[in-house]
Amino acid sequence: MTARRSAGGARPVPASARARSGCAAGKWGAAAAAHAVEIVCVLMFVAPIVWMISTSLKPEGQILSYPPLWIPRTWTLENFQSVLARFAFVRWTVNSIAVAVAATALVVALDAMAGYALARFAFPGRSLIYQTIIAMLLVPIQVTVIPLFLVFAQMHAIDTYQALILPTTANVTGVFLMRQFFLGIPAELEEAARIDGAGDFRIFSQVVLPLSRPVMAAVAALTFVSSWNNFLWPLIAVSSDRARTLPVGIAQYMGGHAGTSGSAPAFGPALASAVMATAPALVAFFLLQRYFTQGITLTGIKG
Amino acid sequence: MSILPALASRRAGVRGSAATPYLFLLPYLVVFVLFRFGPVVGGFLTSLTSWSIVGTPRFVGLANYRALASDPLFYTALKNTCYFLVLTAPALVLGGFLLALLLNRPLWGRGAARVLIFAPYAMMSAVVGILWNWILDSNFGLLNFYLARLHLGPIPWLSSEAAAMPAIALTTVWWTVGYNMVIFLAGLQEIPHELQEAARIDGAGAWQVLWSITVPLLRPTTFVVVMLTIINTFQVFDQVYVMTGGGPGTATLTLVQYLYFQAFETFRLGYGSAIAYVTFAILLALSWLHRFLPSEVAA
Repeated sequence: MTARRSAGGARPVPASARARSGCAAGKWGAAAAAHAVEIVCVLMFVAPIVWMISTSLKPEGQILSYPPLWIPRTWTLENFQSVLARFAFVRWTVNSIAVAVAATALVVALDAMAGYALARFAFPGRSLIYQTIIAMLLVPIQVTVIPLFLVFAQMHAIDTYQALILPTTANVTGVFLMRQFFLGIPAELEEAARIDGAGDFRIFSQVVLPLSRPVMAAVAALTFVSSWNNFLWPLIAVSSDRARTLPVGIAQYMGGHAGTSGSAPAFGPALASAVMATAPALVAFFLLQRYFTQGITLTGIKG
Repeated sequence: MSILPALASRRAGVRGSAATPYLFLLPYLVVFVLFRFGPVVGGFLTSLTSWSIVGTPRFVGLANYRALASDPLFYTALKNTCYFLVLTAPALVLGGFLLALLLNRPLWGRGAARVLIFAPYAMMSAVVGILWNWILDSNFGLLNFYLARLHLGPIPWLSSEAAAMPAIALTTVWWTVGYNMVIFLAGLQEIPHELQEAARIDGAGAWQVLWSITVPLLRPTTFVVVMLTIINTFQVFDQVYVMTGGGPGTATLTLVQYLYFQAFETFRLGYGSAIAYVTFAILLALSWLHRFLPSEVAA
């Protein structure tokens, strides 16, 4: 938009502006250069994704063609069919969705309540509890995977949904974001409801929560994506297709180097599985990216 | 914060249910203690034992840490992780900053450009690994094809010890630099426009504005980005697991990779925990170097 504006600024050169015309031309050049850089950058980030889609739609013979074909000569879905026929891809997807949905719902509910308690009530131990929770932000996740494995092994719950969902619910960022948000809500609203005779839980669920949709959406988006993409813990906690999630299934059966399958499949099916795993995530991302960036911005700037 | 005392006193007078905040907290605290705080403490205790998955743990004191101190593979993993950090962190921070600067300008289509550059971050690590395995393929890969056009290569990216780590670093930068860009963009938007305008009116050039206004005012943001980048980079696992499995040889064996190997492939859980805690200690030292937590969080 503004590029057009600056280009317009450069076109008419009235006498009075003659002294500035050199400067305007320079500005126009800078804008053109910035646009060129913008296009190159976008291409660098988009090209691999386009290449992934293009490869997945090619028949075996065209995949290894030289020079590379950006647009398949003939289109085929055989790679997708072969993935669905040979691997429990549908099951992995169902597992991933079930785990991510359950984890997200639990995290939003638990973190909203905890964040509210920490933001609105004064009680003994509040600051100790809050600081203990926040301190966990510094502890890398791999410190917890061995004890978690031992706990779930003891409970004979390895390879179950519980093993995948429960550790995700002990979310720290969500509590922090919720608390920050509640601190920003004017307390008068709650006071008014209290005078009207509403109890604490009614105030929370009917006054505070309806005002908190932005932060709940941000926490939900972050939790869903991190559960969807979670890798290390599911890799440890899962031993069969019963609970195997998409990232683990793809890594174990489609990755070239680490796998339970012995030999990796050809690039065609591997990239078809990549496309199938990515498509829903990317669509959701484009639709929800406002909440997604909001969540990241909040954690990045305020946290 | 300021409303709390008033609220508390009124509560004490009118309602007086001291249990309410604990009831709100309880469900979260249960999962927090069981699945976060407990395991963090338990991990340390485990690191003081010799424990294979069958049998009972045996207390061995600091023996695991002593063994670690003379374990050449541990030093290989530490060195590789640092190498990965050096390869990616500057590119991720500087790249994120430059992309944010570019897309903070009033460019045509910048909204779409931001989303597209950020999009790879929404892909799962396993997918990113598989995609780049294909792009980096020595014989048929896209990258070597275009390098050949420039009369470079072919580079045996993932199959040579020298190029494997740079290849994984390249993949990682492509995958996550958009995340840093988003944080930097938010930081840039918080800088009041008037400051830059005023400097420009006073005759400051673009570079001067950048160096004396934008960069200094962006320092808190930069700080967060640097810390997050170091922490995330130091824990690299997924891409390596999918792309090279730590190879060729031990060229891309990282700390978390080694932890995974010791704990879940040879089932030395105590030794694995010791690796986890040493990694944690190194990270903590790095964070303390820079007082990681902003004052708001510690409030």
